[in-house]
Parts: sequence; C-alpha cells; structure tokens
Amino acid sequence: MTTMDLRVSPLGQVEGDLDVKVTITDGVVTDAWTEAAMFRGFEIILRGKDPQAGLIMTPRICGICGGSHLYKACYAVDTAWGTYVPPNATRIRNIAQACETLQSMPRYFYAIMGPDLTAAQYANAPSYEEAARRFAPYVGTAYQTGVTLSQLPVEVYAIFGGQWPHSSFMIPGGVMCAPTLSDITRSHAILDNWARTWLEGQWLGCSIDRYLQIQTWEDFLAWMDENESQHNSDLAFFTRWCMEIGLDTYGQGYGNFLATGTFLDPELYQHPTVDGRNAALQSRSGIYAGGQYFDFDQARVTEDITHSFYKGTGALHPWEGVTDPIDPADGEAQGKYTWAKAPRYDVPGLGYVPLEVGPLARQMMANRPDAAAHQDYDPFVFDMISKVGANVLTRVLARMHEAPKYFRSVKKWLGEVDLHEDFYAKPAEPASGKGFGSTEAARGALSDWIVIEDGKIANYQVITPTAWNIGPRDGSENHGPMEKAFIGAPVQNPDFPVELAQVAHSYDSCLVCTVHAYDGKTGRELAKFRMGGG
Amino acid sequence: MTSVLWFQGGACSGNTMSFINAAEPSVVDLIVDYGLEIVYHPTLSMEIGQTAQDLFWSYARGEKEIDIFVYEGSVIEAPNGTGRFDMFAGRPMKDWVDDIAPKAGLVVAIGDCATWGGLPAVPPNPSQSRGLQFDRGGKRGGYLGPDFVSKLGLPVINIPGCPAHPDWISQILVALAAGRVGDLSLDELQRPATFFTTFTQSGCTRVQFFTYKQDPPSFGQGMRTGCLFYEFGCRGPMTHSPCNRILWNRQSSKTRAGHPCTGCTEPGFPHGDLAQGTVFKTQKVAGVIPKDEPAGMDAGSYMALAGLSRAVAPQWSKEDMFVV
Repeated sequence: MTTMDLRVSPLGQVEGDLDVKVTITDGVVTDAWTEAAMFRGFEIILRGKDPQAGLIMTPRICGICGGSHLYKACYAVDTAWGTYVPPNATRIRNIAQACETLQSMPRYFYAIMGPDLTAAQYANAPSYEEAARRFAPYVGTAYQTGVTLSQLPVEVYAIFGGQWPHSSFMIPGGVMCAPTLSDITRSHAILDNWARTWLEGQWLGCSIDRYLQIQTWEDFLAWMDENESQHNSDLAFFTRWCMEIGLDTYGQGYGNFLATGTFLDPELYQHPTVDGRNAALQSRSGIYAGGQYFDFDQARVTEDITHSFYKGTGALHPWEGVTDPIDPADGEAQGKYTWAKAPRYDVPGLGYVPLEVGPLARQMMANRPDAAAHQDYDPFVFDMISKVGANVLTRVLARMHEAPKYFRSVKKWLGEVDLHEDFYAKPAEPASGKGFGSTEAARGALSDWIVIEDGKIANYQVITPTAWNIGPRDGSENHGPMEKAFIGAPVQNPDFPVELAQVAHSYDSCLVCTVHAYDGKTGRELAKFRMGGG
Repeated sequence: MTSVLWFQGGACSGNTMSFINAAEPSVVDLIVDYGLEIVYHPTLSMEIGQTAQDLFWSYARGEKEIDIFVYEGSVIEAPNGTGRFDMFAGRPMKDWVDDIAPKAGLVVAIGDCATWGGLPAVPPNPSQSRGLQFDRGGKRGGYLGPDFVSKLGLPVINIPGCPAHPDWISQILVALAAGRVGDLSLDELQRPATFFTTFTQSGCTRVQFFTYKQDPPSFGQGMRTGCLFYEFGCRGPMTHSPCNRILWNRQSSKTRAGHPCTGCTEPGFPHGDLAQGTVFKTQKVAGVIPKDEPAGMDAGSYMALAGLSRAVAPQWSKEDMFVV
C-alpha cells in the first residue's frame, strides 16, 4: 500500500485562497483538511460602529455575492429595528438578489468549473475534443458567450441598485431607488435577451417551460435526447461528458443538508421578524439529515473554533460569537489549521452535525411536502439524488437547475412592481435590539447575526456558505462537509490533482467569503508531497 | 504579447468580478484580440498547487519577465509584521509582493484595498492592512514605500474604487499593452488623471437639484426628486470619479439610482469610519453647514451659495422630475 500526504497550495479558482491537505492511499483520498488562508477581521471592525455599517461592510466580504450579503445584512437590521417593509421594496430586493445569482451561475460554470473539464488527463476520452472546443478557457465557444453574457443579469441589478458589484441600496425599511416605467421595461428586455441568447439558446436548447417540466431523473435523461437541439445543449453535453470522465462517481459528502431559504414573500413579510421568516420564504429553509426533514431554527446554529485560528475552543451561538484571531504559527501548535470557523447545527435527535449548504441543499428542501401556495415545490433534484446520489455532476446540475426557476421568479416580481406605491418607509431606530438576516447566495446559506446596544453594533457575526462547506473539523473531530467530500476521490496525477479542484469547484466556494479565511504550516514548502510507507 | 500576473491579497474579488463585466473590450477580447496574456489569475487560471508555485517562483526569482503586475486586495502585515494572516502558495502574500513588484515592468493597484488599504484598514484594522504605495487616508508610503518604482520607472498606478469600474481597469491595461505608457498622466494620488479629474457629480442626473439646493424627502419614491448631498451623505461633489460619465453595467450609477455616493475612489472611504450616525447621513457643523463642502468651497462661500440657491429655486425643482 502506498500512502502519501499531498498539499495543494493554492487550489485555484475558488475565488480566493484555499489550501487543501489530503492523505492519499493507493491513489484515493483517505483523509482531508481544508485550510482557508486569509483573515481580514470584518466582524471585529464592525463592533462599535453604526447599526447600518453592515450594509456597506458586509458586501465587501465577498465581491462575488455582495448583493446577497446586502440582502441579509438589511434583514438583520430590519428584524432588530422592527421595521415596516413595503411589498414593492421586497420585490426589488428579491429581483436584485436573484439577478446576482443568475449572473453567478454561468460565470461560475464557464470560468470556474468549465476549465477543469478540459484537463489534459482526460485527453483520451472520446468527447475530449468537443469538451475543449466548448469549455477551454478564453477560447472555448461556450466559454466566450457564457462568460461575456453573464454581465446581462447584473445590468438589471444596476438599474435598481446603481451598480454591481458593491451597492448598498437595500436599507432598513425598503430600498433607495424608485424605478420608473422604463426601468421595468428595460429590465424585462435585458433578461429576455439573456434568456434567448444564453439560457434557452445555449444552455438548455429548449424553452424554459419545456425544461421545467422535468420532475424526475428519468425525465431528465429523456429530455437530453428528445431532439437535436437539446442533445447539443451545453447542459446535455456537460452531463454526458461528466459521465464519460467519471465525475458522477465521487464528491459525495455527508448527504446532510441545510438551507436558510430566501426570497421573502412581499405580502407576507411586511413586518420582518426572526420567528416569522420561515413561513414567508419562497425558496424554503430547512434541514435534511439522516433521511428526515426538520424546520430551520437559527437558535440551533453554532460556530466551533476548536480547529480554527481563534483563541480558545468550543462552540458559541453567533449572537454570543467571538472573533479573536491568533497567530497561525501559535494555532498550529494547538491543532488549529484554518481561518474558517466550523458552523454546526443541532439537529433534533442527531446532535451537532456538519451540513452541506448550496443549491443541492436548497433543491432538497424544495421537495419537502406541504409547501404553501407562495412556496417553491420541485421534486426533481431530490429524485435525482435519491437515485444517483450526490457527486460532482449532480451538485453542478442542482446549481444550474435553478437558473430557469430564478429567471421565472424575477419576471414575475418585475410584473408585480407597483410604480405608484411605496418603496421605502422610514423606520424608527431603536437604540438596542437583536437581529437575524439570511439569504441564499448562489453558493448557499448566508446569514448575519447583529446585536445593537446604545445605538451601536455590540456584536456582529457572519456565517458564509463557504464556512458551512469548507469549515474544518469540530471539537468532536467530525470533518467539515467538503473535507468529507474529498474522501474517496481518486487522484491520478499528484502534480496536478484536478479531481480535488473538481470536488472543490462543485461547491463553488468563494474563499474570500469565509470572513475568517488562513494558512498551513508556515515556511514549509507546500504542495511538496512526502511518500509514506504503509 | 503583454504578460499580466494578477494576485489577490486581502481581497473580496470584487474588482475581478467587476473586471469580468467589461465590454468593449470584454475580458475575452482582451486576451484573444489585444494580446494580453494572463499568466496567472486566482479565479481565471487553471494552475494549481506545485504547478502554480513553480510559475510564481519563476517571476519572483526574475527567471521570467512580467510586464504588468496587477494587485487586488490589501497587503496584510498582521500579526506583528509577519504577514501570516494572509498566506499564499506557501508563504505570506507580502513576501510575494516584495519579490515580484520590483521586477515587474509596471505595477497596477486595483481597487481601494490595493491602493490604500480599503475597508480592511478601517480602525482597528485587525489585519494591519496597507495599500501598495499609500495608506488609508491618503498618506504616501504604503507597503512598498514612497520611493518605489517599477522597472519602467513608474510608481504604482492606482485604480481605486470599491470596486473599480471595469473600463477603468480594461482601458488602462489596453493603453499599457499598446505602449501608451507615455500618455498616462497620474494625479497626486497616482490615479490616471483621465478618469479621476472630473467629479462623481459630473454627469449626475440630479445636478439641477444640487444647483437649487433641493433635497429629497426620503429614500424610496422620494428619490424621484432632489439631490442627495444635503441630507443623505452623498459625496458626489467632492469625489473624483467618472461614475456618471462612464455608467456602471452600462445602465446607471449609484446617484442616478438614488444611492448617495460613498466617496469610494478617495482614500478616506468609508468617510467617517462607519461611526454611529455617519451612514447615509450628511455630517454637519452647527446643524446647517456640511462638514465636508463641495470641492473648492469653504463654509462662507457655501452659505452664500446655499442661501441664493434656495431663494431663486424654481417651482419645478421642488417637484418630481423622474416621474413614473
């Protein structure tokens, strides 16, 4: 048996710096450590600042999903202050949040996931030439249009928010903007153009309505070969290519999921409260663990710092959360190895378990029975996972499955904006309060917990999707979700371990997104591997 | 071919995301048609692990030439000057900067974090973040020091903004790649003067309301009228940027959408350090005079103008102009 430790630094295209250390036994990963390598300390900066400081600060945690940061930061203050939010404002917030994600899907797929698909080690697979023709970075035919056209959905964001990235136009009590008729009509036109040229024209090869008839894995397979246009679509080709090169065989993870949900119903969330949030969501929250569904309750969330570069050990609820960084060199001596904290959720009957977040988690919740009229019900992804399991391929399919769904929602909200009604109601600014705001960034659950005292921020904690997914082991030595997903992955060429990149990229981790982000063994030459006996 | 090496320090990747929104030329055009060779970019490049490290060392040791070194994000010095809060490819990012910046033909700082430290440098600056050649507030020096020049003899070229507009980045890269370094004039903050001489207010659709000192009643539908400078903390009259000349995402700008300018192309951003009461609220002296006046004015000239403006304001300036 051959065992070796491989350290990959950097593992690129994760929108930031991710280092991964894995143990490989006979060409298969048997253990893994994910190491976030950078720390800026935004939670520390926010302490003592204006209650609205999070609206400016948190979008800058991550320029990839800054609009999502804004969405939840705003609801954190809305709930803390007890604001009234006019339905129009919620519609605009939803439109903007969804447009950011519609941008992210193709940009992620072609710029981050696509290039892996053309790695040299697949050169002998029958469809390699076609994969390279479509997905090669910069020159691939699909890459060029997919990446370039990904700008269009955020043009709509800019119409309402002024610019993307990094607007702060959502504010407690509503939004800053007041669209006019042409803002609405232009938004429709931009989105229709994008759907015609990319979503329907290139990605699906069929109408959105046709695609969304898919309810089961068998429906999906049949859809792929229904006609030439669908067969040749990027989606169908990607699926076939993944099956050719085995991306449907690894990257499983725990199979336990969390979504905090998003898209508040404009009529049902006019008075945002923490307790009223679940019922008002369109894209539902929840936990799926041990084969069962549970309601999401923010009070059951903790962050464990046993293996993270912060003073102490153990876990705290974010309202009580502490961010007290230490020198990584000292941390390593204490068994710490990353800047990411380890978020955990106390699942009734199962205890504090690691949970995967992201599109797969969201779409698992979409299958939960008893959806209210305003809530999304969609059995496709659950059916797919129950038949073929979670893996690199199905995680990406779940992500891309949301594009036509979000598109439809945006069009609906645009149609519902009442130009003659309010977009903002000036809130009272009580001197103290506790708030919780959350949303689903493209890559998963994103939440803020705020404590306001004496008119200032007393505590502010952010849990990003990347922290949920790439967080480290906890005090009970349970692996983080992505660490778990690495285990079992084959590594053909330790000099270019593209399989590890593929697992990481299937989560679309934006590492800068871990507010607490790291390093490994300082001074040691990373990526150098030791051959071990055994 | 012009080689570009792009690193991210204490960054959110927002400038990269902004850059990918570029059109005319798009990122693809820049590479395919304009001969920019992006030898490494953390989001866009496939190189990982040892392959990537070997490449970086070849630039760090000077074995390979790099034409343009683009740096996004702050230079992190914590803890205690070691830089270990930001490790990249096996060593503190700041050590890569030490090795590569002086060997590059040109060094371009993109975004506020790279130019002057940006948001991570807001007190208490837990990561000890600095800009490449300036510190937050605008003091020349930064991580590389006031005397730094790259191989072509230029100081760091600063393209600030949080984020920088894609055109500010792409047009400068095209100019440098096309050998137009000589046409580039920099202001005292080392920003390309072609972009950062006019004000954010230049081209703002609300400028007539500024003229007659009319402010909107509130955010939301109130924003169909009025100038955001007087009550809502807008810094358009004293911030240098072309945000209303070169629109964002080809559609709009913050101020056009009713969002006060936060002054993010200036080294003081966020002005007031996000202290209590400073967010989206104009700071005033004695309750009436803005603490920061429009560029070039003082309290006396401001009061004189304000009084006159209000006195002569026509009726239409008090009503909605951007009607449904």
